[in-house]
Amino acid sequence: MKRKILSTVLAMMMASSMIACGSAQSADGTDNGGEAVNTAGDMDDAVITIWSPSDKESIENWWAEKIDEWNSEHPDMKAAREAIDRSDSYAYDNKIATAVTSNDLPSIFFVDGPQVSYYAANEIIVPITDYFSDCIDDFDPATQAQCTYNGELYAISATQSGVAFYYNKDLLKECGVDTDDLDSRTLDNPITWSEMAEIAEKCTTDSYVGTHIIMDHGEGIPYALEPMYISEGKDYISEDGTTADGYVNSDEAVKTTAFLADLIAKGYANVDPITDEFLNGACATELGGSWDVAVLEENATFDWGVTYYPVADDTKKAVSPCGDWSAAISKDCENVEAAGEFLSWLMNTENVASYADAIAKPATRASAYEEEAMAAYAEGPRAMFVEQLQNTAAPRPRTPSYATFSTDYAEAMTNIFAEAASSKTVDESYIKEQLDSVADSFAEDYNTYYAN
Amino acid sequence: MASKEKLSGRKRDERIAGYVFSLPAVVLLIVFLGVPIIYTVYYSVFQYQVMRPNDILFIGLENYKKLISDSDFWVSLKNTFYFTVVVVPVQCILALLLAMLVSKKFKGVSIFRTMYFSPQLTSMVVISVLWTVLYNSNPNTGLINAFLTNLGMEPINFLTNEKTAMNSIIFMSAWQGAGYQMMIFLAGLQGIPRDQYEAASVDGATPFQQFWSITLPNLKGTIKYVIMITMIQAMKLFTQPYVMTQGGPRNSTKTMVYYIYTQGFQKGNFGYACAVAAVFFVIVVAMSLLMQNLTSEE
Repeated sequence: MKRKILSTVLAMMMASSMIACGSAQSADGTDNGGEAVNTAGDMDDAVITIWSPSDKESIENWWAEKIDEWNSEHPDMKAAREAIDRSDSYAYDNKIATAVTSNDLPSIFFVDGPQVSYYAANEIIVPITDYFSDCIDDFDPATQAQCTYNGELYAISATQSGVAFYYNKDLLKECGVDTDDLDSRTLDNPITWSEMAEIAEKCTTDSYVGTHIIMDHGEGIPYALEPMYISEGKDYISEDGTTADGYVNSDEAVKTTAFLADLIAKGYANVDPITDEFLNGACATELGGSWDVAVLEENATFDWGVTYYPVADDTKKAVSPCGDWSAAISKDCENVEAAGEFLSWLMNTENVASYADAIAKPATRASAYEEEAMAAYAEGPRAMFVEQLQNTAAPRPRTPSYATFSTDYAEAMTNIFAEAASSKTVDESYIKEQLDSVADSFAEDYNTYYAN
Repeated sequence: MASKEKLSGRKRDERIAGYVFSLPAVVLLIVFLGVPIIYTVYYSVFQYQVMRPNDILFIGLENYKKLISDSDFWVSLKNTFYFTVVVVPVQCILALLLAMLVSKKFKGVSIFRTMYFSPQLTSMVVISVLWTVLYNSNPNTGLINAFLTNLGMEPINFLTNEKTAMNSIIFMSAWQGAGYQMMIFLAGLQGIPRDQYEAASVDGATPFQQFWSITLPNLKGTIKYVIMITMIQAMKLFTQPYVMTQGGPRNSTKTMVYYIYTQGFQKGNFGYACAVAAVFFVIVVAMSLLMQNLTSEE
């Protein structure tokens, strides 16, 4: 009997390990399914190896098609791309960090916008200015700024992203909010924070909350919320990227954070929102990404709209989030010339347009909008995002200590929001204390590794 | 004399065979345990940014000095101990009770055994995601709070309140882990001779007296083993805070392993993370030895 039980335990453990091995799925629901599915080209046989975050099926197919196209035209410079699970939070960055220590980076890897400075300052990626000198002006200014460090271009992106104010017209009408007014807003007349809060208050009911402000518990927090701080008057970090003291913990930053925490404290926004909260009708409005347009078009069962990112009441200064994954050539690349040539080809107008279409994000190249693939960006919500990006986009801070800043700021904001949700009040002294610790931690990291 | 030589020759062969058989395990231990431990201690005396592997600086015991005044380190250590001290007895008692339940012979008992063990078959990441939804503070999206509000109670911020976050993780972890220990206890229970219970029944012993005087003494070895492995597992808590709370709120669920991970990988302070890991390694080994001494037969 004892033996029988032990054999049952062993069988169950084996089954459990098999289940664990077979269930490789990313947090966004993209099936990883092992290398066979997620690798385009042969990584062992390739001259140019590429890592980029795993994505939805249309993007995986785009990669497979493009790698085939390149390899058939360049049999002596074959390329292969491996999809790396991004998960939520910082899983992809951890993979890069591990590869850096073992000198095992691929020729090209994709980097999230603000991490470009971090990798460039640490010489993990190499300048690519020469490969784009004849076409860089075709890329939008925010992309150029985000990908440039110390005057050199270190990365390049095919797409951009943005955040704007989405609203569920059915729920808003139910709560007596004038949706025609929201529909008619322009870049010169965006909604203000107080209008956003007023709508959130009106639309908080027993069945849904008024708004949604927490994109995720990782980079989503600094990414989606930074323009509020700039609109109020102070960015997270100084322009030269050397200090956060007097910026992220300034009076303006405390005021901005208090406004956001108040939405949580009053129950107008959830402190731990479920995935796709807006799509599921669990919130009436949201600060949502440009990628949500395609998701909503495909899946929403309600009437919805989207308008420009809210501005501070005092300044009315329009600023909006931007930044996306950018391709960079690594320090471990054995054939930089080949990688540079591949990158130039990958980021040509036609490829940028088809990639932007597949991933449902705005393209970085102005010329891409003349391609048929980008026809959907001529009007409607997509055109609004392009207009916002071209006029108000502000790249995240360019500092080598961004990784430390991002981690600590996201943690501080999570603490502040949790405190607001528990106490149902906003404690500005606690906000200041938390933001001070972010500034201190930034200073310690910058002074230890980069000041000299 | 010739026979003696022959015997010692056989002994020598047996000894060689013993070394050969244990060699793979020893090699694996050295490669995957010994070498990393040595490297951890080595790098702990360097200022080492993970993105600057060619720019490391020897700083002696500076990382250890910093650690002593690092409040996050002490909070993480305290949280790890709290989790261990609570989850070990809760999980072990729950597992023993379940094992005693399913050790009875009745129709469909194997279904219950499978049900209690089934959380073990699922990845901890998946379970953590599921429980994050169950614990959601909004009654419209969180199943437990929907249940509580239907009973007329106020919703509870399970994972976003520093007073409840760690206890919520403990409850989920005990539920998830108890099935495995249950199976070990079950094997132990099946090994207790039935005639001891029969004799006790004849003597008029109550079920509690039987449990206290027969079951517990016979399970001593199993209990010791279960406590030891549960304690070591508990000290390594990482997945639940990583997925469910990211160490918050207010550091209330930040554990040692999670702290090492954030320092080493998210912030890139590899040297400092190694120092924390080295200290934590010593603590876990000391705890294990202490536990072994406390539960030894002598």
